[in-house]
Amino acid sequence: MKFSINKADLQTLSRHPVFWVVLSLSLVITPHLGRFPVWSIFLIIFLFSWRLLCIKHPRWLPPKWLLLIIIIFSSAGLFFHFGTLFGKTAGSVLLSILLAVKLHESPSRREYMLLISLSFFIIVTNFLFSQSIPTVIFMLCIIVVLLMSMITINQNNAAIDNIAKLKLSIKMLLQALPLMLIMFVLFPRISGPLWKLPDEEKTARSGLSDTMSPGNISNLIKSSAVAFRVQFKNEIPAQQQLYWRGLVLWYFDGRTWERGKQNITPDPSLLTSKNLIDYTITLQAHEKKWLYALDMPVDIPDDIIYTNNFVLRAQHKITSLYQYHLTSSLDYQIQREISPWEKSAGLKVPPQTNLKTLLKGRELAAQFSQAEDIVKHVLKTFNQDEFHYTLSPPLTPGADPVDQFLFQTKRGFCEHYASSFTLLMRAAGIPARVVLGYQGGTINPLTQVLTVRQSEAHAWSEVWLQGRGWVRIDPTAAIAPQRIEQSLDAALDVNEARSLHMQLSNSVFKKLLFYWDAIDNRWNQWVIGYDIAQQKQLLSRLLNQQINFSDIVLLLVIGFTLALLITSLFIFKPWHKAKVEPVVEAYATFCKKLSAKGLTRETYEGAFDFSHRAIALLPEQKNSIQLITRLYSKLRYEPSQSDKQLSQFKQLVREFNPGRTPKS
Amino acid sequence: MAENLPLLPRFAERFIQRWAKKRQPPASHQIEIDRHHLYILPTRHGVLYFMVLLLILFGAINYENSLGFMLAFLLGSLALLGMIYTHQNINKLNVHIGRAEPVFVGQDMLFPISLSQKTQQLRPAIQLRSSTSQISHAHLLNTTNTNSQLICTAQHRGYSSPGQIKLFSEFPFGLFHAWSWLNLDSRCLVYPAPYSHHIPITKAEQEINGTTSNIKHGTDDFSGIRQYQAGDLPNHMAWKAIAKTGKLQTKLFSNETSQDMWICWTQLEPALDTEHRLSLLCRMILDASKHSLNFGLDIPGTTIPPSHGLQHKQQCLKALALFGL
Repeated sequence: MKFSINKADLQTLSRHPVFWVVLSLSLVITPHLGRFPVWSIFLIIFLFSWRLLCIKHPRWLPPKWLLLIIIIFSSAGLFFHFGTLFGKTAGSVLLSILLAVKLHESPSRREYMLLISLSFFIIVTNFLFSQSIPTVIFMLCIIVVLLMSMITINQNNAAIDNIAKLKLSIKMLLQALPLMLIMFVLFPRISGPLWKLPDEEKTARSGLSDTMSPGNISNLIKSSAVAFRVQFKNEIPAQQQLYWRGLVLWYFDGRTWERGKQNITPDPSLLTSKNLIDYTITLQAHEKKWLYALDMPVDIPDDIIYTNNFVLRAQHKITSLYQYHLTSSLDYQIQREISPWEKSAGLKVPPQTNLKTLLKGRELAAQFSQAEDIVKHVLKTFNQDEFHYTLSPPLTPGADPVDQFLFQTKRGFCEHYASSFTLLMRAAGIPARVVLGYQGGTINPLTQVLTVRQSEAHAWSEVWLQGRGWVRIDPTAAIAPQRIEQSLDAALDVNEARSLHMQLSNSVFKKLLFYWDAIDNRWNQWVIGYDIAQQKQLLSRLLNQQINFSDIVLLLVIGFTLALLITSLFIFKPWHKAKVEPVVEAYATFCKKLSAKGLTRETYEGAFDFSHRAIALLPEQKNSIQLITRLYSKLRYEPSQSDKQLSQFKQLVREFNPGRTPKS
Repeated sequence: MAENLPLLPRFAERFIQRWAKKRQPPASHQIEIDRHHLYILPTRHGVLYFMVLLLILFGAINYENSLGFMLAFLLGSLALLGMIYTHQNINKLNVHIGRAEPVFVGQDMLFPISLSQKTQQLRPAIQLRSSTSQISHAHLLNTTNTNSQLICTAQHRGYSSPGQIKLFSEFPFGLFHAWSWLNLDSRCLVYPAPYSHHIPITKAEQEINGTTSNIKHGTDDFSGIRQYQAGDLPNHMAWKAIAKTGKLQTKLFSNETSQDMWICWTQLEPALDTEHRLSLLCRMILDASKHSLNFGLDIPGTTIPPSHGLQHKQQCLKALALFGL
C-alpha cells in the first residue's frame, strides 16, 4: 500500500465528483461538530477518508452488510448518548452519519446529487442553532462549494477548471440573491407552527436559570452574549433605574433560592404609576418562558401573562427571537395590603441552617422598632464593614453559606448580598423575596438602542414595608454603588478575570463594537425577527394602505416576475452583438472576394481544403492564397499572436484581388 | 431516449417526439437550435432537489426560522437560474453534420458533428445521441466551434443514416434536461461485412474448383500446398486438405502473374443466399486488392471491368453494398 500523494493524483482528485461531495458534506457538518459526541466525529472523519481512498482503489468500497452494521451501532450509540434519535442534535448527528455511510454506496451521479441535495438540508438544521451574521456568511461560502460540486458532477469531463467553476457559482449566487430577497420579503408568512414542535433537548443556552445559589450569576456574567435589546420610545432612563425584572424567588433551602409553587392571585395593581416609559424589547431565544421588563410593567400586550409578582410570562418557550412592547412606570407604589400567602411565604426561613444569621435577624428586630431602620442598618453594615464586591469570592461549601459569607468571608457577588440580605430581613420579621434579572445595559450611541448582555445579570431583594408595599432594595448598591450607577467594570478590581468583550470595552475597539452591535441589532430586527406582523407593517408603510393576505400574494407574483425578467435580461444580454474576432472578420472578407468568383467556402470546409480548391481555380493567385491561409490558421489557432501579424494579415486580404490578371 | 426525466413516461415522450417531428424544419446538413425546437423539463435530480427545498420551507415555517426561509428561496432562485442556464447552454447552437467514411457492416460509422456558436459562450457538457448511437460529448469552452462525432454501429449494408439525433444538456446543475431533436441529413455507405475465413464447407472442393475454370488467371501449374496466409484468395483454398486437417491451407500455383481475374457472382456455391454471397465477394475484393491484383467484378446488374487501385476497390465495394437495394 502506498499512501504517497503526488501532484497528478491531487489534480485528478480535485476533479473527481466524490472529492467534491466529501468536501461539501464535511463543510456542512463542520458547524455541528461542537454538539457531536467525540466518537461520531471520528467515525465520520474515518468514513470520509476511506471514501477518498476508494477513488484510487475502487475495490476497497465496503460491502453492504458492513455499512448496515455501522448504521446499527452508531444509532444505538446515539440513543445511549442522547436518549432519543429525533431531537435537534441527535437527529443531525444521525443524518450526518447516514450521509457519510451513503457515500460508500454505488458511485453514481444519482447518489452524488442526492447527497448534495441533502447537504442543503443539513445547512438549514444549523440555522436552528445559530442565525448570526457570521453563520450566514459561512453558509453562503458553503453554498458556493455545493454549487461547484453540482457543476463538477454534471460537467461530463469538460475541461473547466476550478476557478471557472468558482466564478460561475458566485455569478449565479449573486444573480439569485435579489430573487431570494424579493421572495423573503413578499412570501406570505403564516403565524404559528404547522405541527407540534418536538420537546426540546436541553441545549446549553446562556441565560438566567430559575434558581439562585452562590456562584450562579458570577459564572453567567463571564458571558458577553446579548440577553435582549431595548428600543426606548422617548428618552432613556438613568442607568441606576434600569432594573430588568425577570423572576421572583420565594423559597429558600439554606443555599438555593427557588420560585417554588406559583401562587395565583388576582392581577397585581399599582396604586400610583408616574414617569411612564414606552419601550420595545427584542429578547434572544433563551428556551424559557419568562420575559424581562423594566421595574414595574404597567401596560402589557394581550398575549403575555401577568403574574402576581409583576413578572411576565410568555405562552410558549422562547425558542427564537421574541419582540414585545411594554410600558413601565419608574415611580410606582404597590398595593398597600399584603396577602396572607405572601406574608407566610415572605417570612419563611429554613430553621436548621444559617443559625447565626437567624439570630442576628432576631437581634435586629429587637433593636429597632421600625422596619425601615432595620433595612437601613443592614445596608449601612454592608457599606461600612469589611465587605467586598468581587467576581471570584471564596467558596462557601458548608451547610450554612449565608453564615459563612456574613461572618467569615465577607466577599461576594450580587447573589451573596441579595441572598443574605433577604434572609436577614425574613429573620427580622420583614417579608422579603429575591428578584432575578438584569441591571443596566450599554447604550449604543449610533442607534440609541440599549443592549443588555448576560454580564449584566443581577439579583436584588424586595421587602414589604408597612404603608409602602413591596419596595426594591439592592444590597449590591450599598457595597458597590459603581456597579449600579455605571457598570460592572467600574465596580470590579482591575485584575479581576473578565471576558474579552468586557476587557475591550475601554479600548479603541469600543467604537467598532458599537457598529457591530448596531448591525447585529438591525439583523435581528429585520431579518431574524421578520414575521407576519413586520411584513404587514412594512408593506402597509410602503404602499400607504392596509394590506391583506391576497395583496401580499399578488405583490409576490408581480415582484418576482419583474425581478426574474430583469435577471434573465442580464443573462441573455440581448444588447450584446455577437463579437467577431478581427481575424475571422478579415478572413470572411477574403472568402467573400473568392465567392464573387464563384468559389464558395462550405461551412464544414477547413481553410486549407478551401485554399486547395481556390488554387485549382485561380492558379495564378497561388502565392497570396497560400500566404493568407497560412497566416489565418496561425493567427486563429496558435496561442501567441502579435498585432503586427494581424495587421499584415489584414493588409494581405485588402490587397488580394482574385480578378487581377497576373503580371508577366 | 431520455434517461433522467421523471415526469415523462415513455409513451408521452414518443408523443412529443412525433409532435416535434411535425414542427421540425426539413432535414439539412446544418441546423441552428432555436427556442421553438428546444424542450426543457426537470430531471429526477431536479424533482429531488425540489422536494428537499419544500422540506426546508416547511421546516422554516414551522420553526419560524428566517434563515430557513432565505435558504429555501435561495435554492428556488438558483434552480430557476439553473433552468435558464441549461436552456442557454444549447440555445442558438449551430449543429453541422459531415459525411461519414464508408464502413463494413458491424463496424462503427463515425458521423462528424461540428458545433459552433456566434458568441464565445461557455457551453460545456453537451451530449448527443441517436436511437442507434452511443452518447457522445462535446464542450464549447469559450470557443466558437468544436468537433465531435456520433458513433453508430452499422447494422446492414447500403446507405445508413444516424436517424433522429437528440442533442441535450443538463449543465450546470443537472436539475433540468434541455434537449432538441435534430433532423440532420447525413448518410454513410455501409459495405457488406467481409466473410471471416472460417467458411462453412458445404460442397466438395471440386465443384468450387470447377467454377474456377472460367476465371482467367495464372492458375495453371499446381505446385503444392502451404499454410494459409492472410490475403490468400479463397478460391485458392485447399478445401479438401482443410476438411481433412481442420487447418486453413492454400494451394500454390507456380504462375501467379498479374493477369486479370474476375470475381463472379456465379462462381460461388449456388445454394448460398445473397448476403452470404456478398460477404464472400467482399472478402475476395479485399484480398485481391491487397495483393494488387487486377480484378473485375461481375454481379447481376453490374459489371466492373478489371482494374486496380483504391478507387476501383471502393467502386466494387459500393456495388456490393447497394446490390439489390
